[in-house]
Amino acid sequence: MTPEARAFPERAPIGWDGMTLKQMLDHSDQVFAETGRYHGLDGLELKKNDPIRYERMYSRMRGGVVTARENAAKIAASPLVEEMGEVCFTLYTPEGDSIALSTGIIVHVHTMSDAIKHIVRNDYEVNPGIEDGDIFVNNDPQISNVHNADVQTMVPVFWEGELVAWAAGVTHEVDVGARTPGSSSVGPISRLEDGIDIPAMKCGSNDTLFRDYVDRCRRAVRTPLYWSLDEKTRIAGCHMLRDVVLELIESEGIETYKRFIREVIEEGRQSFLERMREQLVPGVYRAPVFIDYQLAAEPSLPRHAARDGVLHSPMEVTIRPSGKLEISLDGANSWGFHSFNCTPTALQGAMWAVLAETVMSSDKVNDGAYFASSLYLPFGSWTNPGHPMTSHSDSWYILVPAFAALPRALSRGYHARGYVEEVIAGWGDGNYLQGGSPDPFGDQAAISNMETSCVGAGAGIIQDGLDYASSSWFPTGDMGDVEDWERMEPLLYVARRVKPQTCGFGRRRGGMGFESLRMVWVDEYELQNIGDGTMFAQSGLFGGYPAASGYRHNIRNTNLPQLFAERRPYPTGEPDTADSELSQLVDGEPTRDLRGTTMIEAYSRYDLYLSMIRGGPGLGDPLERQLEDVQRDLDEGLILRRFAEAVYAVSLREGDDRLEVDAGESEAARDRARRSRAERAVPVSEWIEAERRDRILPQRLVGPVREMYRSSMELSPRWARHFRSFWGLEDDFEFTEDER
Amino acid sequence: MTQTTEATREVRILGIDAGGTMTDTIMIDDAGGFVIGKAQTTPENESVGFEHSARDALHYWGLDPEAGFPQMVSGIFSGTSMLNRLLERKGQRVGLLVTQGMEDYLRLERGVQTHLGFSYADSLHVVTHRHHEPLVPLSRIRGVGGRIDARGDEAIPLYEQHAEDGVRDLLAEEVDCICVNLLFSYINPDHENRVEEIARRVMREEGAEVPIFISSALYPKRLDFPRLNTLLIEAYAAEPGRRQLQLLRDVTKRLGAPFELRVMAGFGGTISVGAKQLVNTLVSGPIGGVVGARHLARLTDVPNVVCSDIGGTSFDVALVTNGEYEITSTPDIAHFKMNFPMVKIDSIGAGTGSFVRVNPVSQRIEFGPDGAGAKIGMSNPAEDLAAVTITDCNVVLGVISPDYFLGGEVPLDRDRAVAAVREQIAEPLGLGVETAASGVIELFEDELKRQVRALVMGKGFEPADYVLMGYGGGGPLHVAGYTDGLHFRDVLVPSWAAGFSAFGCACADFAYRFDRQVDLEVPPDADEAAKREIAASITAAWRALGERVVAEFAKSGVDAGDVGFQPYLRVQYLGQVNDIEVPSPLAELHTAADLDAVIAAFERDYGKVYAQAARSPELGYLITLAIVVGATPAEKPVLPEEDLGPAEPPASAEKERREIFWHGAWRPARIFEMDHLAAGNVVEGPAVIEAPSTTLVVPPGRAAALDRHRIFHLEAQGGTR
Repeated sequence: MTPEARAFPERAPIGWDGMTLKQMLDHSDQVFAETGRYHGLDGLELKKNDPIRYERMYSRMRGGVVTARENAAKIAASPLVEEMGEVCFTLYTPEGDSIALSTGIIVHVHTMSDAIKHIVRNDYEVNPGIEDGDIFVNNDPQISNVHNADVQTMVPVFWEGELVAWAAGVTHEVDVGARTPGSSSVGPISRLEDGIDIPAMKCGSNDTLFRDYVDRCRRAVRTPLYWSLDEKTRIAGCHMLRDVVLELIESEGIETYKRFIREVIEEGRQSFLERMREQLVPGVYRAPVFIDYQLAAEPSLPRHAARDGVLHSPMEVTIRPSGKLEISLDGANSWGFHSFNCTPTALQGAMWAVLAETVMSSDKVNDGAYFASSLYLPFGSWTNPGHPMTSHSDSWYILVPAFAALPRALSRGYHARGYVEEVIAGWGDGNYLQGGSPDPFGDQAAISNMETSCVGAGAGIIQDGLDYASSSWFPTGDMGDVEDWERMEPLLYVARRVKPQTCGFGRRRGGMGFESLRMVWVDEYELQNIGDGTMFAQSGLFGGYPAASGYRHNIRNTNLPQLFAERRPYPTGEPDTADSELSQLVDGEPTRDLRGTTMIEAYSRYDLYLSMIRGGPGLGDPLERQLEDVQRDLDEGLILRRFAEAVYAVSLREGDDRLEVDAGESEAARDRARRSRAERAVPVSEWIEAERRDRILPQRLVGPVREMYRSSMELSPRWARHFRSFWGLEDDFEFTEDER
Repeated sequence: MTQTTEATREVRILGIDAGGTMTDTIMIDDAGGFVIGKAQTTPENESVGFEHSARDALHYWGLDPEAGFPQMVSGIFSGTSMLNRLLERKGQRVGLLVTQGMEDYLRLERGVQTHLGFSYADSLHVVTHRHHEPLVPLSRIRGVGGRIDARGDEAIPLYEQHAEDGVRDLLAEEVDCICVNLLFSYINPDHENRVEEIARRVMREEGAEVPIFISSALYPKRLDFPRLNTLLIEAYAAEPGRRQLQLLRDVTKRLGAPFELRVMAGFGGTISVGAKQLVNTLVSGPIGGVVGARHLARLTDVPNVVCSDIGGTSFDVALVTNGEYEITSTPDIAHFKMNFPMVKIDSIGAGTGSFVRVNPVSQRIEFGPDGAGAKIGMSNPAEDLAAVTITDCNVVLGVISPDYFLGGEVPLDRDRAVAAVREQIAEPLGLGVETAASGVIELFEDELKRQVRALVMGKGFEPADYVLMGYGGGGPLHVAGYTDGLHFRDVLVPSWAAGFSAFGCACADFAYRFDRQVDLEVPPDADEAAKREIAASITAAWRALGERVVAEFAKSGVDAGDVGFQPYLRVQYLGQVNDIEVPSPLAELHTAADLDAVIAAFERDYGKVYAQAARSPELGYLITLAIVVGATPAEKPVLPEEDLGPAEPPASAEKERREIFWHGAWRPARIFEMDHLAAGNVVEGPAVIEAPSTTLVVPPGRAAALDRHRIFHLEAQGGTR
């Protein structure tokens, strides 16, 4: 007898019909591979024979999950979870396929699925054992998470000795003890700096957490109080979900329940395919995204990590005639010594969240969609590093823009099918204000401001994008009250204002972003900016402009005390960066550049920090924007005069108390603009030839861009062929490696 | 229900419910008898419609208003005109002063307001989200430099010139009033007070006096955006309603009423027309129902009640536990986040007028979120609806008589309902038309049941501890369905279910409630001295709030000595977000032991409210709000008292026999006229008890017993519930 066998004596299997969980999962995978249908279901018998009863069961289950989320968050939760809603609960089959989920951070529906599958595949049933009342916790990205700050709790549900479901909940923590404070620390370059890691561990039994686990966590994070409150929330919610399952079985019988959960997922799969067929046109859609990071100047990074770079997300979406959705990131460039690497689980989750907000936003949302889609993630790229040491602390940095582009791809299909009201050109993303106190003994040592959940949404066909109210990763975003944030953050809001020019222009403009100007209100503090800078992440759609990319304008050692004492004007933002209110009104040491993302930096009292919340991309040719819409943009201060004239080609005159669009002159101006375009235009083939000759062949690309393409081509011969054929290059063309 | 003879009847209480289309009045006599009058609402001057409605009611008793009104001792108004003014954006021309840098409050809102109250599916679906049209345009919003920080300390001094210039600008904009909301004014109102002084001076100088609304004076509570909403809606929609209320009061006076007309407020009390704050009367009808249910519960010695109200557009549920309803301090009204106290009511957008559709892709039955509004359904040939409503399904099932809807006033066409359900629901699902209609009702009632369960069990209570009351026009129709299998102690349906909200308003005390943020931390290791200091702060806050209560009562000529005071605190565990309201066992707190007594009360109540959660005394406590409610008792309706007769209903009460479809089969059911049933009668299901205003369904296996107070008890057949 092995020591393990002595420690964990053999027990009856907890799967169905005498199987172990692992056997159940293997069987499920095998049957799906053979039949293409979830558990090989031929038809939806329950639904067909008694549709009312079937829907009543689903409604009870989904309702129970939604209620659990509401009640659990009220019982005990950190402000991030309770006020911002950063929590989600889901029910899973024994094999870890999601059956029904609550609202909230739904990106995690699939991440928890992978955590459960990890538990099942690794035979936890034997060691450490899976019993009624056990509590499992995971936050390890390499097992199944986006980043360590999302903490997952999973509770098995038993009925007469069989495991019949998993109840799971996830919360987003303000801090997990990473290298620098905050939930998405930018700075870690290996997993050892990502903060506490709980690799799908059994952390409690008999509905009680183990003391050693509780202690370990409290000692490993900067905000132990919030950690423990959220842990209570997750456990309470899971237990509510367990009750939902048990009551459903009591009233409907175990056999009906078992059949039901299979059918619900198969129905989810079928209805997903049907929706895709109904709303989209089969074909291949591309939505590439690039995002830069500039860390070369960071003195605290080792040489191999102190670099500027660009992450390449060459998303290609294929809709099959069957409705099957295939997403490929073939051509993504290499992982790196930065905090932005992603795991396949994270990408799967992000894809999921966007689908749940778009094609499948009816309420039967479950893993059926997973079985009706596929995701290709090239090994060795940032999407699938395959190295055990990579850091994932701020996976969101690329994940959010990469998947905010998915609606852009889908929207072409919507448009082709006539679902014009569904079209959305994507979303903006950032700035993430994050930081903490350099004093580890202070009360509140980490902050993650979530007003960035309210970026501008992309423009639609029939309406401008939704202004500052949602994000691709959080459709029910909320920026919270100033009086709430300031109780947690020692940074005064000097202003929170709509920021002109943040949206992408177009026939329909993107949703606006806004800016918060914060004044440090403590002697010492550390903050970082996180968001795009030199490059915009989202392009527009159908000729619309991308939204403005971000920048940094922070001022240290200001003369604000003097301004205040003398009641002289102080700034409330920077509506026009070329004529900066901030620069004009305040003396100090400005940091003003296009580094949208930095590591943590030190600030003192009266220093200013500008947080620019990005707008959404535009749609359609700006020359087609209705003149009255341009007038409204001007009236509301959403666009500056010179841009209205240049982009929308309108003619403006000074009215009594406003700038007025002159209709007749504007039409003439637009005609001139169109003529000027025609004059400047060259055939695409000529343009490609010129670019090839002047830029590609001599490799006259800025370092990070050249390196990005080099890496993409190296990792994917297919993508390299695609690149070479587009530019008409020889088969052996490659970019040379960056010399540094 | 008019057993008092005409000669001896004394009309005691008047309840008015002025809806968007109809104004209902309920008159209650000294024996609990009542009459209900109806008249068209007259939005430009509500008192006209009210007078017509009152005349209509009293004529059933052969009285003129001039004869009836002098007998009355109490009159309560509840209406929707303020809410409508808000919804229709027809409010005052408001000018707004905010902290400089925050001028975009109403454009930015909070993201949550773009989807507040949306269905699950729509909340995920961003293309459906919308911002509100701002109540105040940017051109009438001015910023004032200066900042108070989160501790109440001045971080940036007040830029007085901004205030002066701002007020001048707003006056030039010809505003009707000026609102002032500065950051953290709830902790330190100095800046707001100074702005008010400046504004008053400027107005004198300009010779243009307009009312000023100061956030720290009216709603001194944390969260700047809900506070701003509350302040603005007070000025924009509620204050202009005061004139209407005064006109109503004048009419009651002219008709000889000796009482002062009062208005139902969201916190469950009634307030004077002259009260300083009227925004908390914005939503009053649903509150009336809960107050009425509490009153009934107290009269019948029932401590715990689930209140459930089904109207045409919504299903509202609330809990009365140990004789008290729960108060929320951050209600959502008309998709606005607010910060005034309101009886906690959970509402879902599903009512008898909700549209029912089959999703063509998923083949699922979906309810709403839209509905027929004031209309009935496709069964009404006079309407041009294109989708089936819940009411249509009830018509198909034979539950609602097409000839007796609203007492026969609106003739319905069952064939139209059958055709519509067949085409829109049954055929797409491959079901028989009755099976489909009955499936719709079962799913609908399941959804209601889930709400009821969530409310009771989410708090850790059991249905067996509660009596459920069903009212509203649709309550009696569905109460059997949504209580089935939940094992409540009793299920009650008052025979006046359709007028229950107006009745409930008449059950409320004359009361004022004021609160303010105190945010006092009680760390787990707080010593005696620290606790004494906290106790003193609380007592000081209570005294100040008590003075506001006294001042309001003084306007109605009520002496402080006649006012009963109850202080409350809202308390939470330190670090958590959700506080709960705890009545203080002591009138004032002075010693550490006094404070401990309140904490002990919190611990006890916390365990009741969130029974499933572990308490967390190790965290310490945060006392967030100090609250004082001052009340003076008002005469309340008495319940009718009838002698109990035989169980078998009189033959005269049974109108007909009709087939109703129930659980897969047509079954013969007895149909009764509600007014003809006598106390003591027990109606066994399957049966339908009809009244002009509502229909009570008694399914097979259940029975409805009418008690001495004309309240039906829905029981399992054979007597157990």
